Amino acid sequence: MLKVIDLDKSYNRQKQSLKAVSFTAKPGEVTAIIGPSGAGKTTILRSVNQLIKDDAGQILLDDEDIRQANKSDLRRIRHHIGMIFQNYNLIGPLTALENVLHGRLGAKSTFAGMLGLYSATEKNEAAKLLQDVGLADFALQRCDQLSGGQQQRVGIARALMQHPKMILCDEPIASLDPKSTKLVMDILRELAQSKQLIILINLHQLDIAQTYADHIVGINQGTIVFEGPERALTPEKLQAIYRQPETKAVTADAN
Amino acid sequence: MPTKPTPQQFFRRRNRQLLIILLILIGIYWLSMVLVNFQTMSSLAQVPAGLIWLAKNFIPTQRSLSYLGAISFQLWRTLLVSIASTICAGLFSLFFAVLGAKPTAPAPYWRVIVRLGASLVRNIPVVAWSMILLFSFKQSDFTGFLALFFMTLGYLTRAFTETIEDLDPEKLNALRAVGATYLQCVFCGVLPEVATTLMSWLLYMIENNLRDATLVGILTGTGIGFLFNYYFKSFRYDAAGLIVLLIAVLVIALELTSTRIRKAIA
Repeated sequence: MLKVIDLDKSYNRQKQSLKAVSFTAKPGEVTAIIGPSGAGKTTILRSVNQLIKDDAGQILLDDEDIRQANKSDLRRIRHHIGMIFQNYNLIGPLTALENVLHGRLGAKSTFAGMLGLYSATEKNEAAKLLQDVGLADFALQRCDQLSGGQQQRVGIARALMQHPKMILCDEPIASLDPKSTKLVMDILRELAQSKQLIILINLHQLDIAQTYADHIVGINQGTIVFEGPERALTPEKLQAIYRQPETKAVTADAN
Repeated sequence: MPTKPTPQQFFRRRNRQLLIILLILIGIYWLSMVLVNFQTMSSLAQVPAGLIWLAKNFIPTQRSLSYLGAISFQLWRTLLVSIASTICAGLFSLFFAVLGAKPTAPAPYWRVIVRLGASLVRNIPVVAWSMILLFSFKQSDFTGFLALFFMTLGYLTRAFTETIEDLDPEKLNALRAVGATYLQCVFCGVLPEVATTLMSWLLYMIENNLRDATLVGILTGTGIGFLFNYYFKSFRYDAAGLIVLLIAVLVIALELTSTRIRKAIA
């Protein structure tokens, strides 16, 4: 269970990006964070694994606060949190198999990881995961030669290699065509159910969120304006989530 | 508010500007010629005679082939010194570049230190390096090696730093999110991403250093440069000419090979 409590973050003094953000995400469910551009979706997601340092609050993954973790604890916690990105962020010249094996880096000694000394068990597991996401034939191909949908599936396999409790997905389908989108989202939903993972996902596309998410967190200008099951999302709530900031309307009137 | 020019006015104005720039350039040339007492016409008149003298004396003859053994031996040594100094400098440069590049710098002040250091080493010309090192290390191949090493270090540190900075930092974030340590990020993320570009730079610097090695050799009295200087000063111009020819052949061969390697690894 992921519990985020009263999370604050500001990048500069004028504007606070997150204001007392609180929500929960349960294992076995797809939790989608939706909201307009610049609302703070990415900031929330990246605070959860501390790629971004927030200012105040609590982030509890199974009752352990990642914000209080020291360097080696942070490494251990991150090892159990997979992450996939809009731009996949694989190491292009390396093969799909090597990229999947990177999922083990958090559990290996610095030295073994640096030199890529993986055990036979690890290599077999990586190959198996690639097979699971339908890329068995591409295991030894350079990642920068794969299509977007294929790269995202390598990203998912890398995340699974971490034996994660949770997978964070930062706009995972924003660069994909509809067919790849469906493939990737189907995999993510299936994973949530079969492995009882927490899937926390940032989405621009409302229709995808409504189709795939069990639980929805709506955010507007750094404040949570809705949290609840997908069926509780009424048109009024949607309007509140996607409401444009009033300051913009005022300047528009002035012109 | 200025009125918008018609297309005709626009082109007339631009042609006038081009003409003015051309006149200014000619003026600067003329002024500098006057200041240094350079006679353009009489200098041009000397060119054909000069070329004929060059052709008569410097074209290798049957006799100069007897020097071929000595020349190829020195050329071979010079090539090896160029390669060794480039690769050595490359390794050090990579280390400094990782310290100095924005995404991988352990602390911001490292960026300043590396940048300043590389710029200092780079901006001392190879000629000056040779002269300075000659006094400390005497006339030996090692002096030539060091002169090339320092200059290469300056260039490659800069080039490698920029290559690493071109990398999408998000890729490193992905590895940090996995729980990778700093060194793991560098070895599993940065190095595979930049390896081919680094290889291209190394190959380019080997070519470049072979050319520079001739000059360094003249100054430090080693390698092919020394031999060139020796033949030249003992009026054996045909042998000196043979050296120039062989260096050109070797550089071209090196260039062709490195182009092929670059294509193969890209």
